[in-house]
Amino acid sequence: MDFNPCMKHKMVRKTVREFAEAELGPIANDIDRQASFPWEVIEKMRPLNFFGLQIPKDYGGAEMDSISYAITIEELSRVCAAIGLCVTVHNSVGAYPIQLFGTEAQKKRFLPPLACGERIGAFCLTESNAGSDAGGVETSAAPEGDDYILNGTKIFVTNGGVCGIALIFANIENSGPRPESRVFIVEKETPGFIVGEIEDLCGMRANPVSSLFFEDCRVSSKNVLGGSIPGLRIGLTALDTGRIGIAAQALGIAQGAFDASVRYSKERQQFGKPISSFQTIQNYLAEMATQIDAGRLLLYRACALKDEEKPFSAEAAMAKLYCSRVASEVTGLGVQIHGGYGYSKEYDVERYFRDAKVTEIYEGTSEVQRMVISRSILTQLT
Amino acid sequence: MMIKSEAPSEKTSKTMNKSKKKKSRQIWVFGDYRNYFQNRVTLQLLSKAAELAQKIGGEVCAVVFGNDIEEYIWEYTCHGAEKVYALEHDRLSDYPIETYVNLMEIFVRQYQPEILLVGATSFGREFTPRLAKRLKTGLSADCIGLDINDEELLVQTAPSFGGNLLAKIVTPKARPQMATVRPGIFQEIPHDNDRTSTVIQLKMPENLPRERVKMISSSKSPSRTQKIEEANVVVCGGRGMGSKTKFKKIFELARLLTGEVGATRPVVYSSWAGHETLVGQAGKNINPKVLFSFGISGAIQHTAAITNADFIIAVNKNPNAMMMKLADVAVVADANQICTALIKELRNRIRA
Amino acid sequence: MLKLVTCIKQVPMVSELPWDAKTGTLKRELAEGMMNPACKHALEAALLLKNRHGAHITAISMGPPMAEEVLREAVAMGADRGILLSDYPMAGADTLSTSYTLARAIEKECPDFDLILSGCYTNDSETAQVGPQLLEELNIPGATFVDQFEIKGNTIRMNRTVDEYLEILEMDLPGLITVSTHQYNPRYASLSGVEDAFNRADITRLGIDDLGIEPEMTGIKGSATRILDVYSPTTEKKNDVITGSPKQIVEELFAKYDDKIGSAIGKDLKDYE
Repeated sequence: MDFNPCMKHKMVRKTVREFAEAELGPIANDIDRQASFPWEVIEKMRPLNFFGLQIPKDYGGAEMDSISYAITIEELSRVCAAIGLCVTVHNSVGAYPIQLFGTEAQKKRFLPPLACGERIGAFCLTESNAGSDAGGVETSAAPEGDDYILNGTKIFVTNGGVCGIALIFANIENSGPRPESRVFIVEKETPGFIVGEIEDLCGMRANPVSSLFFEDCRVSSKNVLGGSIPGLRIGLTALDTGRIGIAAQALGIAQGAFDASVRYSKERQQFGKPISSFQTIQNYLAEMATQIDAGRLLLYRACALKDEEKPFSAEAAMAKLYCSRVASEVTGLGVQIHGGYGYSKEYDVERYFRDAKVTEIYEGTSEVQRMVISRSILTQLT
Repeated sequence: MMIKSEAPSEKTSKTMNKSKKKKSRQIWVFGDYRNYFQNRVTLQLLSKAAELAQKIGGEVCAVVFGNDIEEYIWEYTCHGAEKVYALEHDRLSDYPIETYVNLMEIFVRQYQPEILLVGATSFGREFTPRLAKRLKTGLSADCIGLDINDEELLVQTAPSFGGNLLAKIVTPKARPQMATVRPGIFQEIPHDNDRTSTVIQLKMPENLPRERVKMISSSKSPSRTQKIEEANVVVCGGRGMGSKTKFKKIFELARLLTGEVGATRPVVYSSWAGHETLVGQAGKNINPKVLFSFGISGAIQHTAAITNADFIIAVNKNPNAMMMKLADVAVVADANQICTALIKELRNRIRA
Repeated sequence: MLKLVTCIKQVPMVSELPWDAKTGTLKRELAEGMMNPACKHALEAALLLKNRHGAHITAISMGPPMAEEVLREAVAMGADRGILLSDYPMAGADTLSTSYTLARAIEKECPDFDLILSGCYTNDSETAQVGPQLLEELNIPGATFVDQFEIKGNTIRMNRTVDEYLEILEMDLPGLITVSTHQYNPRYASLSGVEDAFNRADITRLGIDDLGIEPEMTGIKGSATRILDVYSPTTEKKNDVITGSPKQIVEELFAKYDDKIGSAIGKDLKDYE
């Protein structure tokens, strides 16, 4: 029998959509407003492999291809972007670096609890003086016997309030004028690992984004990801993969706002006709649909390249740059189509509108994406 | 009422010969008397059979099996059966489906009715397909219309997709032509004590196979907490109610009407009401006597689940909404305001 | 180990029906397919048995090639094997010929089955006939609209609510039940299950030659019924349109329909003042 990837991707979409609409749909607005993390839904997501999307089966994951991965994040985000964010960050920058760079012992120890969602993952790079500029990281790791002592503060950590395992980007103390960086796998029970207050953000409010403080936090050298692999290399690779997830998330938000707008435009009557019969609204819908489709093509291409193990850094950056812009524009038009109701918390588009903006900021701002893309253009031989 | 009783075998065959001479074609109605008096589908079918019989020159016959069935023979006669095939036996007291199928197969082969109609009760919907399979004939399910066409075939109108599509179905060659029919579709003929019928007492065949499914117990189901599927009154609300707070009035109105709350997908999606209230695809199908519909536009996934509602009162600002077209009473107004006004008025009237 | 067979139908997804608003008809060829909900409940019942006692589950479906999708979904949820009966002569079948074809396939592919579970009805044609006709065709005991059941040794005990009666039934295996949608809420397929359903699933497609059946016995030729016409009922009723202020409207509603509403709730709503 033919192996038909389209049928598989259709089923992945159907499966995740069914789950998202039934389990997240009814609570998405409430958890946004109350900024609460829905543990009861997370509990249901665990056995369905949402936390081991691309982790190999041997470690308890679903071992999905990257397009299936993107579809999963899209469909979660289409209903509840904050949970889409939790899942994509956990998978792409929480678990994936361990899968890719970890020693066998590290994989055996950390991947299974991540894959089953027993522990939620997080990735900590950003600091108050280091965001787009990874070189400015001030968190330090001081060697002491077989251990390292971590000190520093990470901010805007997605999943920060709920993570069980965090990957910490730090510089080795006294390693010279161009400090050597490493990524440390730190479990939340480790003494000196302190979770700060949950940030009060504009969107994605159901995700407990927080600061993490490290105060003389002692970590074994066994927890240095990949042994002596430079942190910067891990970080950059993680971000490439992370961008695919954020692009998928942005696309899902756009799709959610679009679907709501189509529905509303057919229901809402003005001048005795549904507003969808007016050309202006039709133009908006056509524009939104085209942008979403274009974004999706860019995204799936990046995914396909990744699965073929070809370079995909620039393509992932393009997908992230474009899909996040689409999310902002489409949700903006969505609010416009809804008129006054779109500005009210009664309707979902208001939430989509708030959630969309950050996709242009985190996991590399749009400006950084352009930098990545242009670097790829300019280094090509002509 | 006069009931002419005939003895089984010999006299029965005499009757058959007679009817063959007249070329009378029989329309059989299966006597489903469980839950009689509430379940009146057999009477409704007798009435429809009488109408069909005129078109094909047929005879309306009831077939009734059971233990202590005198009462039903009488009822069916008074409601239009010209002939009643009756089998009384103590093996038949608790409605054993398999035995009924075995018996009916034997008698249908013996008397060869042209048409066989059965009420689409739960019993009918298990019994009839099994019988049709044995007889290798066609069967349509839960019909809402029956007629005779130019070729004297029984045209059965069967719903699909929750009543959104109707199919006209015939069984061209195989006999009998069989249908299960939804209760409550046809009007019964008023009870008339002066009607008469010929009663054919059937004999319990020998060597009837043993029932393979054992009835361990059977009890009238206790009155459970009311389910929305079974509620007489359902108050459904949609996005047109305006907000979660305003939607609470739907609950208040339903409480006053001792009914249940229903909601559309967008409402459940926005958590104005819980998932258990969802009426439509992925939710419940309802069968109320009266359905109130507030601020619902009438998307197919909702309307497919309300086709069994007897009487619909819809309130919507948009007179052209699909829901308003489906309604018996279409109130053009703001759903929230009418809901409020109804609650107020009902409080007065119920107190009085 | 129990050998279970679940019959599964692919039906058009109602929420996605491409509905032609002008003619009121369904462009069925464009509709997305989905596993019939009641079939999904039957599969869930089988999966619970598998979890508890261990069982081998064969999911079987008859339909166009596209119906492969619901079999893969069944495997994703936990079924062990899928059989798709798909062949041109099988098309257009009524329940009589569907049950015939299914029976031949079950006899051939799973002759030593213990229990067949099917949904109590499908959302498209809504006949609820294939289950009961299949048990006749296979000459095995069975019951329809089963809410809950339990297997002990070689017997199955079933609870169901039919015509307002709570019945407890018992029969020997092999047998067939059609499962109601009251219990057995279907699980979600896991993503790893979906992945497996495409990478390592055992899905067989069989035609009439594989089953050794004559074309006359299956599909439209083997059917006793003929469909003359399919149409959308005229949805526009001659209805009573009421307008005015809320107070006027409510007064008019009660003036006209107090009996109707009152009898539904068993209360007298007449205004005697």
